[in-house]
Amino acid sequence: MYLGIDVGGTHTDAVALDESGIAAQAKVRTNHQDLLASVNQALESILETVPAQDISQLNLSTTLSTNAIVQGTLEDVGMLVVPGPGISADDFMLCRDYHVLKGSIDHRGSEIERLDETEARRAIEACRKKGVRVFGCVGKFSTRNPLHENTLRQMLGPDGGAGADAVTLGHELGGRLNFPRRLATAYFNCAVWRVFGTFADAVEKSLMRLGLGHVRVNTLKADGGTFPLAQARKMPVQSIFSGPAASVMGIIALCDINHDSIILDIGGTTTDIAVFIDGQPLVEHDGINIGSHPTLVRALKVHSIGIGGDSAISVLGEAVRVGPNRLGPSQADCVELGCACASDARPTLIDALNCTGQASHGNVEASRQAIAQFARCHSISPEVLAVQAVEAASEAIFKATRELLDEINDKPVYTIHELLEGRRVVPKRVYLMGGPAQAMREAVHQRFELFTVVPEHFGVANAIGAALTRNTASLELFADTEKGVMFIPALRHRENVPRNYTLKEAERDALNHLLAHLSEMGVFADRDNAQVNDASSFNMVSDGVTTGRNIRVKCQIKPGVAFALTGNGR
Amino acid sequence: MHEAKNSLGVIFFPAFDWSISPTHPEREERLLYTQDQLKEEGLFDIEGVDEHKPGVATREDIERVHFCYPEVEAVATRSHMVAAGGTKTAADLIMSGRHKKAFALVRPPGHHAMKVVHGSRGFCNINIEAVMIEHLRENYGKKRIAVVDTDCHHGDGTQDIYWHDPDVLFISLHQDGRTLYPGTGFPQECGGPHALGRTINIPLPPGTSDEGYMMAMERVVMPILKDFKPEVVINSAGQDNHFTDPITNMNLTAQGYARLTELLQADIAVLEGGYSIQGALPYVNLGICLSMAGLDYSGVREPGFDAVKHAQRPQIAEYLAKLCDALPDLYFNPPRLEQTVSGGKIEGEWFVRHKDIYYDTDGISEAQTEELLLCDSCRGLLKIVSRTTKNPACLGVEIPLHACPRCRERGLALYDEAQSKDDYRYSQLINRADRQYLRHGF
Repeated sequence: MYLGIDVGGTHTDAVALDESGIAAQAKVRTNHQDLLASVNQALESILETVPAQDISQLNLSTTLSTNAIVQGTLEDVGMLVVPGPGISADDFMLCRDYHVLKGSIDHRGSEIERLDETEARRAIEACRKKGVRVFGCVGKFSTRNPLHENTLRQMLGPDGGAGADAVTLGHELGGRLNFPRRLATAYFNCAVWRVFGTFADAVEKSLMRLGLGHVRVNTLKADGGTFPLAQARKMPVQSIFSGPAASVMGIIALCDINHDSIILDIGGTTTDIAVFIDGQPLVEHDGINIGSHPTLVRALKVHSIGIGGDSAISVLGEAVRVGPNRLGPSQADCVELGCACASDARPTLIDALNCTGQASHGNVEASRQAIAQFARCHSISPEVLAVQAVEAASEAIFKATRELLDEINDKPVYTIHELLEGRRVVPKRVYLMGGPAQAMREAVHQRFELFTVVPEHFGVANAIGAALTRNTASLELFADTEKGVMFIPALRHRENVPRNYTLKEAERDALNHLLAHLSEMGVFADRDNAQVNDASSFNMVSDGVTTGRNIRVKCQIKPGVAFALTGNGR
Repeated sequence: MHEAKNSLGVIFFPAFDWSISPTHPEREERLLYTQDQLKEEGLFDIEGVDEHKPGVATREDIERVHFCYPEVEAVATRSHMVAAGGTKTAADLIMSGRHKKAFALVRPPGHHAMKVVHGSRGFCNINIEAVMIEHLRENYGKKRIAVVDTDCHHGDGTQDIYWHDPDVLFISLHQDGRTLYPGTGFPQECGGPHALGRTINIPLPPGTSDEGYMMAMERVVMPILKDFKPEVVINSAGQDNHFTDPITNMNLTAQGYARLTELLQADIAVLEGGYSIQGALPYVNLGICLSMAGLDYSGVREPGFDAVKHAQRPQIAEYLAKLCDALPDLYFNPPRLEQTVSGGKIEGEWFVRHKDIYYDTDGISEAQTEELLLCDSCRGLLKIVSRTTKNPACLGVEIPLHACPRCRERGLALYDEAQSKDDYRYSQLINRADRQYLRHGF
């Protein structure tokens, strides 16, 4: 039995399920002051129906790291930064204990200037004096050559020793190039490291107490995959913004998606739009932003707009609009049966759907009343107001979706082949989920003019997604046969390769290292799910003579679910 | 994080699947390290700096500019169409107001491609700046345009295309033609009879560094630009003037290029040559991007930089000072036609010049006779007869933009006559007045 818990902004959803369907589900209010209490409550509720020994795996999606960042409860981090020439690193000053050190590595990974160790020692000393216990060491082009980051690592001493409790090295975050993003990602990883670790300890303790000590625990990531809790303790930043990913993975578990498709998760305040290409969720090109800082954290491409069931209806001139403001819950939700709603009550999308008959949610009479009052104020008929509000919502969703598709289709490419033969994303279907999904189905169908599906269990699709999401991992390999080195930054693996090392060998090595890494973490990964995303090899020429090959390979375990619940759900 | 003062659109297209030959300077690897550098610096995460995909030029975009023999497809590969399309995208980004400035970081280059194209010269087949300029004129009604070509080689292609066009100011700063391909670009070359002083050549001696470039910019280029008042300023931003370039002998640095860019304030920059792909391009391109966006570029420094070694010899400064005294006069008081070395003379109502052109990349020799109908009401009808080791006699007739009725009539008659007499293997008509582009002889 698989257990999935999605700690969301409003509710914490939990499901227990196996191939035969959902065995138990629970929905509790999220207590933002004590997320552990919400998790415990959800667990206990599930255990009322399902025996503890039947559960083999728990996948947890939590807003813990996100909250810590939003609320600013971050630990002081000592940042040791080796930028070399280029855009000034002072522009990226993320925290007080931010030390820019001399030294530089170029794009080929050659050391141009040695790291100034005296300066580094002084910087470390200054941080320690202020009681800083976690450090981030980040160099420009450290994904080509980690020499300076490794030197700083040694100077800081072992984890948990006198020197530092935790150290994040820039190149461990992956092989992608982007120094400012590497800086921000390393910083946030350090800043939430302790709070995540404490939470992980508490969760493990709770599991022991509830007789779930044998359960494998994974944490959800924003890229539509999970990673083991032990791994999450090292890279807590990866657990950020996993909520939308849980919903998208839920759709995969509930529907058999093969085509280019659009996923709309219509919630209370927002609608999340995701895109599938050939049945695969689309991953963000670079990484998500944390606050105003772009990072290297991989995520599914999800676009959020301020349209949801609780979005307020407004009338501007002739035009009826919905959102982006949320003015509390709908009248259907907040007015008790038999009572009249306030004379200045502001109706929401849900109220409009109640009036058009597409929904019968909560107090339908209150919705009618509120719409009628509001329509009178703007001298239009209540029927027209309700219909136009629903149309406005689907129009706004349609427009945002089209913009997202344009953006995806305009993504830069770097070869003539891709530019001229590149495939455009043309969605064939729309999948709807979230509270108002069923009610909005007809309106969305009419606007998109596409086959529109609302799956069974659409209300807890997020928790189902959390439960069934598989482990994912990705890595980048970089080889330079002139220098005779191959380097996989994420695994801190560097080895010598012969001059005749080829792209094919590099692809094979990248996949083997990825699978070996997963099995080291105790994760079984099917080789069929491992794929090479990008592979290129450039002949390097000097004075008219080929001196070597510059090889780059990206590979991943593609996101997916353990099994699908299509068709045989209860 | 800071925000760009000038919003900048970068059309980055490294054509990772195209080369002239595996070890040719114009090969797949050329912009690889530039891409690495721009990505690692996080350039496209800066507010106001965006990366864009190039468009693809159409046959008409090319036919509006060039006589291609036997036809466009024979001389332009798909990569040329994409590079030309990239410059069009740059123009569109500026004209639509999407960005204040644009940089077409595309390959292959184009500034050696002349009006008539039989093949590749100096790694160039299609003049991508000219395609952009005519796109600007055709679709956005722009007229006066200035091209400042800072590539180390003389931009002889662009010079040839706009030789007779008084509305395009072409200024080229390059290594002296006595020491480098293509061996042209002397001050005496200053435009056709109706466009004298609208071609300005600034030949710089080998070893010219940042200091010399800035002197030429401040004392020659900027005063002329100020007077000409162009609607659009284009920089042909070749980067082979860098001190590490393997095929030239100049001493410009990334800092120098960024300063030059800041002074020039071009609306659109287009990458041309530059073959020091590891030691120069990553840094020079970063410098240009930051400078165009109005961002701080003072931290950009290439690994091989040595302030002492790359300083300019005093003799060069002396020579340049004299040159800078003399050159502005070419624009402000253009010489009479007889004093120039255009190699042409007036025969009746036509201006006639003969040219011998060698296509070094493709090994083609061309003999050309160019005739311009001297007209007081428009730029004048252009007729070019070309013979090469590859193609027999070819005729090109161009009725220019805003042609007068007389030039238009004569141009159409000339083209019709050529077909009936069958004197030419191929003939082509560029009729800008009616947007008509015709070919015959296939």
